[in-house]
Amino acid sequence: MDGQTKLRSSSAAKRAYCILVYVVVAFFALLAIIPFVFMFCSATWDSGNIQTSIKLWPNFGNLIGQTKANYNTLAQRSTFKFAVGFKNSMLISGCSTALTVYFSALTAYGLKCYEFKGRKVIFAIIVGVMMVPTAVNITGYYRLMHSMGLLGSKLTLIIPAIAAPNTVFFIKQYLDSSFSIDIVEAARIDGAGEFYTFNRISLPIMIPAIATQAIFSFLGSWNNFFTPSILLNKSENKTLPLMVAELYGDRFTDFGAIYFGLSASVFPVVIVYCFLQRYIISGVAAGGVKE
Amino acid sequence: MANNATKSVKSKGNKGLSYTKFGYLFIAPFVVVYCLFSLYPLITTFWYSGANMTSTTANFWGFENKEVYYDEFLDLTAAYGDSFEDTVGIEKKEYMKIRNFFLAQDAANLYKPLDEKGIVALQDALSQGLLDGVSADTAAKVNQAISEKNLFYIDSTAMSELKAWKSGYADDTLTITNQLSKISSSLELIANPEVSEEEGEETETITANDIIESESFSEFISSLESEEIEPSTQMLINYLAEYVGKDSLTDYFNSVKAGEISLEDPSFYYVCYNLNSPKGTDAEGNSISGFAVPFIKDVQTYLSAECWPNTIKSLSTFSQFNEYASGKINLHENESQLLDDLTLLYEAGLINNVNLIEKDGKLVPEENKETNILYAMQKYIEEKYESNVTLQRVAMQISQIEAYTGNQGRSLLVGTGYENIDSYISFNGELDVQKYIQFKNELGFADLLTYERYEELDAAYREKKVTEAQAALDEANALLPEVQAKYDAAVGTDGEKAANEELKKVTGEIAKQEGKIKNPKGLLTQVNAKSEYIFVGADNFKKIFTDKTRFNTVVGSFYNTAILWIMGVIPQMLLALILSAWFTDTKIKLKGLSLMKALMYLPNVITAVTIAIFFRRIFAYSTGAAQSPSQQILHMFGKTEGYNFFESAWATRWIIAFINFWMWYGNTMITLIAGISSISESLYESAQIDGANTFQTYVLITLPLLRPIMLYTVVTSLIGGLQMYDIPQNLNMNPALVNFNGSMIRSTRTILMYINDQAFGTQDLKQVGIASAVSILLFITTTILSIIIFYLMRDKDEAKAAKAKRKAKKEAAV
Repeated sequence: MDGQTKLRSSSAAKRAYCILVYVVVAFFALLAIIPFVFMFCSATWDSGNIQTSIKLWPNFGNLIGQTKANYNTLAQRSTFKFAVGFKNSMLISGCSTALTVYFSALTAYGLKCYEFKGRKVIFAIIVGVMMVPTAVNITGYYRLMHSMGLLGSKLTLIIPAIAAPNTVFFIKQYLDSSFSIDIVEAARIDGAGEFYTFNRISLPIMIPAIATQAIFSFLGSWNNFFTPSILLNKSENKTLPLMVAELYGDRFTDFGAIYFGLSASVFPVVIVYCFLQRYIISGVAAGGVKE
Repeated sequence: MANNATKSVKSKGNKGLSYTKFGYLFIAPFVVVYCLFSLYPLITTFWYSGANMTSTTANFWGFENKEVYYDEFLDLTAAYGDSFEDTVGIEKKEYMKIRNFFLAQDAANLYKPLDEKGIVALQDALSQGLLDGVSADTAAKVNQAISEKNLFYIDSTAMSELKAWKSGYADDTLTITNQLSKISSSLELIANPEVSEEEGEETETITANDIIESESFSEFISSLESEEIEPSTQMLINYLAEYVGKDSLTDYFNSVKAGEISLEDPSFYYVCYNLNSPKGTDAEGNSISGFAVPFIKDVQTYLSAECWPNTIKSLSTFSQFNEYASGKINLHENESQLLDDLTLLYEAGLINNVNLIEKDGKLVPEENKETNILYAMQKYIEEKYESNVTLQRVAMQISQIEAYTGNQGRSLLVGTGYENIDSYISFNGELDVQKYIQFKNELGFADLLTYERYEELDAAYREKKVTEAQAALDEANALLPEVQAKYDAAVGTDGEKAANEELKKVTGEIAKQEGKIKNPKGLLTQVNAKSEYIFVGADNFKKIFTDKTRFNTVVGSFYNTAILWIMGVIPQMLLALILSAWFTDTKIKLKGLSLMKALMYLPNVITAVTIAIFFRRIFAYSTGAAQSPSQQILHMFGKTEGYNFFESAWATRWIIAFINFWMWYGNTMITLIAGISSISESLYESAQIDGANTFQTYVLITLPLLRPIMLYTVVTSLIGGLQMYDIPQNLNMNPALVNFNGSMIRSTRTILMYINDQAFGTQDLKQVGIASAVSILLFITTTILSIIIFYLMRDKDEAKAAKAKRKAKKEAAV
């Protein structure tokens, strides 16, 4: 009898505890998405409506019409050109990601498969500089770009992507754990050239590591603000974050249009995230991101 | 058979050796790019941190060229005046050659007479005989000048032929683009007024009522009817009345006063401006006199604050004016829109380059392509004008050559026998130090004006200044007792004020001269101050730590960054610990773990800038009826006056910290979950058998084993936190517009924001040296933190084994 009540009370306590846990977890899950819901919904209302009440639902009455009107208001502003920003961001992030993963894989592979002199030192240096932020050499980099006549060009953000110590480190770790040199030797016996072996045999094996690193490299480049804000000065070269930063300028007070601009910059990322979240999260769990 | 086998093994071994070379090849791109684009800039940043560099883009001077630097920027004749020859020991006539050289070099930098595109066009045009009236002889001279980079070959006859061609050449594109570039630069100033550097200073705002209800406005209206108006001014008044469609201008201003026409009405400023300072001539060719508008300044201030920036920015072609002007965009592209925009600007009075001329007793806008851009643009569109690109470029290049060869410094040098001066001038926009040194040698100055000589002169100059100041000081000291006595006598009488003034003057003089003696102004002080690279050792570092005014900002920025990071990281860590414990708790068995992870990680992938702008909108404050979401919530809770978050430093810091927390707790949680999952299951099982409850298991098993991962997370987060930029920067992006006060701007300025402000800010003097010094501090800090991480991450057993091995080796050696 006594034991039973004890059991029951303990199971009641457990249930209460469970409910508490669920409530807290649900609260934080909601907290994570509500701002975006609010942002997307506000993008479909006109400025006057948003300023008098908080909208957490879309403007069903005039969904397409008002959204279009917000788009048009925004398009009339000379500084925010979504298509241009999107194209530039795509170009810069795409090119630099491709360069980063290919050359990092090449470097990591070179360090793994060839026992040349000084490779341990080089790898130690790579690990050492991994955490050095790119921002510390910005004055030197700016002047270098100036003297090379590249200032304001997209190349200033693309070329340095070839050398990404971070990515090299993670791909090297992957190679250490799940790549066997025997494959390379077998290929050599079959008469394959070294670059052929790398491109056709080793690279496909590295795909899981490369994919994870590609996602993070792309996100990093896409969200980058500090370097582009200093190096890109022409409006036709500006990336999406730079344009978003100009959204809240001066006396531009059409908030529907502002929310539309913000949503437009968030939307592609959210869509891509929906598809890739599994890989992203497993990448984070593996410690693949630099904070 | 056996032989064969050994052979194959041998060859394989050789091949294996040759493979290692590929290793170098494979890592080469990485190493090269890393050295060039990361290491080299880092080293130069180190180098700059020891310099008083004040420009991000200026020419780079090493130590050895300081002398050239002084030659360029120190005009000794200006410093010494008449005593030049006695002091410096060089004939003035000779010394002026150096000055003339730099005049010529400046002209070359400015006009680029040998600009590549231009001379290619010029050569093309000459070879095809496109330039009427230019003889073959001239063409040969021009070609020789270009190939030898010496414009001396283009003599006066050749030059006059070229000029004659140019003056006969008219190009509408050129006319319009020239005017557009002028308009564009003046509009740019209005559209983006420079934010005053003084923090917290409030400029007085003028409202429309201030202007309309002022006395001068009424006086002005009545004076419009006065009898004494000149006929030409009357004509102007009639023209403007007709322009606004009223019977008389008095009517117009009366309706403005009555509020029927607002000040923002475009034609209002047009009327005021043209009335005040008209551009135009009457039938006799006399310029039309205006009619003073007393409140025009106020109208300008009012409109440039309230109306013009919006008007200008709303023009769809405005952002392209510069591209139109520089020829990057063809004028025909979107031409009707451009014309419309220009017309709008004209009607708002913002384009004032249209002349009015008298025609049949009335004033009308002059139809002249040179002075009326609207007319020119109209004609341009109607005639579908196409300019000949080559000829257009040739015309420009001829003007550039003309401007350069006409430069006073160059002509003086050429006149005194330095006909080959062009071979010492560099035409790529920057002084070529080697060429200059050659020229200096030719002049025979190499030993006369050396670095040591400059130092000597500087020392003598300082000494002289000290002596002068001493003399002045003695004089003032001699005067002091007398003035003091005078003041003492005058205390309490009518003359007190005057005596006090005199006393102050003398004491002020004494302080001034004492200052001069203490810090005499040298000859090189000014030059050094603006030099691009003068080594100052650790001065920059000293400055950022000791300088009172900078203390607030540099150390302050480290402090802000740390505060913002701590405020974000503590709740982030705690929440991540709780959530990760729940998610891994086998007793609760939470459902939807992967969904929760995905949702909580979402903020981290979104562009930080977007989030900052979004939160800035959320917490915005305004006094009107339109309110931001946070204010609406405050209203709901009965706080009807709202709260201006961005006015308070701590509120803003909390917002930033919240954003950081919100963006990053998902990340930390996922890392911790991964860490907990890697803890061996058997430990938990044995704990359960021992009767430990969930809490005990967590505190006694999970936390201790999780400590390295937590440390790793905290340190990486700290390294990331040191680079905090996007969010604070975009939360107070434009201080002037959200009523930030001075303390506000400083209280959220992080390290990167500080670097950005110093080296790439809007001020004229870019403090590149200071910014580099801060960068280096940041570099050192991150390096230390990286070493900590390295120690945390290294394989402990391996390290122990290595240590034991070393120890064994040592013992063996002993």
